[in-house]
Amino acid sequence: MGANSGPGASPCASPVGPWRKVLYARQPFPDNHVDRRFLEELRRNIRVRQYRYWAVVRETGLVAQQVSCVAVFITLWSCMDQGRLGPSVLLWAATGCALPGYGLYEMLGGKDRERPRLADLQSAAVFLAFTFGFSPVLKTLTESVSTDTVYAMSAVMLLAHLLSFPYTQPSPPGSLSLNAALFASVCLASRLPGALHTFAMLSWALLVFALWPCLLHRLRERAEWSFPWAAGLVCAGGVGGLGAVWPGGALLLSLALLVLTLACPLLLVCLQRHKDNIHGPWDEAEIREDLSRFLS
Amino acid sequence: MVLKIFFPTCCNTADSGLLIGRWIPGQDSAVVLAVIHYPFIPGQVKKYLSETQNQSQVDLAVLGSWSLPKDGQEGMDSFLKDLSTIFPNSRWLQLSREIGKRGFACQVVHNRITPPDPAQGGTDKKDQIIFIHYDQRKVMLSQLHPIHEESPGEESSELRAVFHTVAQSGPLFLLDRYDEGPLKLTHWQSEGREASIVVELSKQASVPLCIVLTWLVLLSFQLFLYVVCCRILNIWPVQFISSKMSTCVQTAYRTNHFQTVFSTKKATSHMEFMRKANIFVSFLVDMSLGLLLVSWLYRENHISQLANTLVPVADHVAKELQELLEWLMGAPAGLKMNRALDQVLGRFFLYHIHLWISYIRLMSPFIEMILWYVGLSACLGLTFALSVLSDIVALLTFHIYCFYVYGARLYCLKVYGLSSLWRLFCGKKWNVLRQRVDSCSYDLDQLFIGTLLFTILLFLLPTTALYYLVFTLLRLVVVMFQGVIHLAIDLINSFPLFAMGLRLCRSYRLAEGVKFRVLCEEPGTPLHLMMEINPLKCSSVLQRYRTPTYSCYPRDSWVDLCKKLFMGELIYPWKHKTTKTD
Repeated sequence: MGANSGPGASPCASPVGPWRKVLYARQPFPDNHVDRRFLEELRRNIRVRQYRYWAVVRETGLVAQQVSCVAVFITLWSCMDQGRLGPSVLLWAATGCALPGYGLYEMLGGKDRERPRLADLQSAAVFLAFTFGFSPVLKTLTESVSTDTVYAMSAVMLLAHLLSFPYTQPSPPGSLSLNAALFASVCLASRLPGALHTFAMLSWALLVFALWPCLLHRLRERAEWSFPWAAGLVCAGGVGGLGAVWPGGALLLSLALLVLTLACPLLLVCLQRHKDNIHGPWDEAEIREDLSRFLS
Repeated sequence: MVLKIFFPTCCNTADSGLLIGRWIPGQDSAVVLAVIHYPFIPGQVKKYLSETQNQSQVDLAVLGSWSLPKDGQEGMDSFLKDLSTIFPNSRWLQLSREIGKRGFACQVVHNRITPPDPAQGGTDKKDQIIFIHYDQRKVMLSQLHPIHEESPGEESSELRAVFHTVAQSGPLFLLDRYDEGPLKLTHWQSEGREASIVVELSKQASVPLCIVLTWLVLLSFQLFLYVVCCRILNIWPVQFISSKMSTCVQTAYRTNHFQTVFSTKKATSHMEFMRKANIFVSFLVDMSLGLLLVSWLYRENHISQLANTLVPVADHVAKELQELLEWLMGAPAGLKMNRALDQVLGRFFLYHIHLWISYIRLMSPFIEMILWYVGLSACLGLTFALSVLSDIVALLTFHIYCFYVYGARLYCLKVYGLSSLWRLFCGKKWNVLRQRVDSCSYDLDQLFIGTLLFTILLFLLPTTALYYLVFTLLRLVVVMFQGVIHLAIDLINSFPLFAMGLRLCRSYRLAEGVKFRVLCEEPGTPLHLMMEINPLKCSSVLQRYRTPTYSCYPRDSWVDLCKKLFMGELIYPWKHKTTKTD
């Protein structure tokens, strides 16, 4: 009340002392009073990191390869839809990719295993059994839904997968991204001509969307030199595969990848100079202390 | 202060004498109940008063004197004044009426024998007096209903005391002028007791008859109750089924009524008496309507006509259902349904209908006989006949109920499955302990299978929902029909016929309050008001005397019902658990 009564009324009542930045003492100043020292505490850009261009390009590889993964999956599906690839070929190819991939994963994993091998085997058995068992059901699932609706749904779901993919921590894959991708692949797979096709498609979906991010993450952790190569390989595979099915799409994809890997980092690095963050006493309080001992 | 004197209209022309009545404690008012005529012996008056007081529990007193001078009784006045010394009282009223005048004159004498009250003595001259005339018979018989709680004024409690005093002093009114006694009184019954020969005779006759009847009925009922309730009804499935059949519910209800009506205890309170009377009258009406129905049913072969229409109707319903299912199995209303599931469900239900039709064919020769025996139940009352009808409808539409249950179960499964799988889809789960949605990291295989199931359930949902919708609508039609029947039964069971009859024929018996009319207002004489009884409103009669039945208990609101329908929970007659545990 006293502080609010205005600057004119109070100074004559008591000798005006220096203003102090405390709330507990009643002072003859309005609530929003600050003194000259206020702006002295202003600091700019204290937490801005200076990126190096090639390091950023290297990191964008992850995004690029995820986009390419979607492209690879679409390529496989359209090949199967058009009858260029038989389901058995794809199944053999899936086996051929999965076994070396698992071997590599185990090799890079080192001594400290979180899961026993039996659990992996069990998971694989569950995947195969459920997918194989449900594939006839899945095949007739969207029979009465129009093809355009199915395509639209798949496109939306794949986009949701790309947007919600946890790029900072890709292993284990995030729930929403993996579920969206699986939903899209079930939708697409139900358009294929046979039950075995559906089964093959779902196995590939599992490989591409669930298992490959795990393997890539491990590669990046344990053998960092191989990550750009792997990402580049996937990108090349995606562009090449899409080129075989739809050349225009391949052109678009390669353009998108180029923009993503080269132009976007350049933009980031350039714009970093214009960054102007101000910090000062008006910031929200930030708790710096380690609170984990209280939380445990 | 205003002194209010409640004066019975029948004493207006009474001979001179003593006023007998009661001072309302805490209020400045007196109720005059009767007039004792001259000549009397004061000791006998006191004795009579104390005797009557013992019988009626009302503290009667001699209020004052009443004089209506007739020819040759000029000297009465001074004599009556002196009486105040014989009957000591703090206040002594001297009412006098002159022939040819409408109003009374009144004088209040403050007795100096009792310790003098200086405050009262000072205001002696300023006392204003209001005469309130009342019809003694009506006030005695009427039951003043609680005035609403918002205005518990002084007036209401005073009125209540007046009504109570008059109603309680029944023994005072027993003495009529033909009685040989030392005292002669004037009150509403002094011209002779009010009674009818028929009523008296039937009262005399009914006492032994009632006792015999009651014993017989009670004995048989106790036996019946013992056998039925203790032995049969307590076995679980019987109990469960009987709670779902309206005939059994009605039987239990009537048994309860019987026990109330034929209990040997006398009804003590007014409400209890009204309850018994209402039940008895509605029971009689029910029986007579039932007998009418029976006489119609068993005349001119109506039963067989009914049976001959019932079977084709049931057949027709089954046929219509079959066509409906065939329509659903195609592309109903151009909706895109999952063909495989559609076929499976359609065939399942068709098989059910096939079973049902063969069951009806098997039953059809016996239906007439069944109806004949079932029709006899109408002798027990119209409500029984209606309950039986409701049960027959329930039995004949059992297939619809089955369809509804299958559809609802399937739909409920899907809705709950989808809701919990949707949480999995978003990487969350329902935390049972905290009753909230938490985030959760699932394993790869859980995610994979969950998504697979989610997709399947999502694409199959419209098909199931359509079947559920159609069968729910059918079920709702049946439930509404049964609901109308139950409403009728409930109306007969709970309608307060006796109270309503009282309200219509003897409207003063149920009073809601009183109203006053100015009788005469002349300068120099006290104000005379006529108190008339306001009868209770019909809606209040219904509300207060309605016999409570099962329909009075709170049920689901419409919003709850819609929510239940949407979630696929069974609505009627099975209740679903409401606690949610995933």
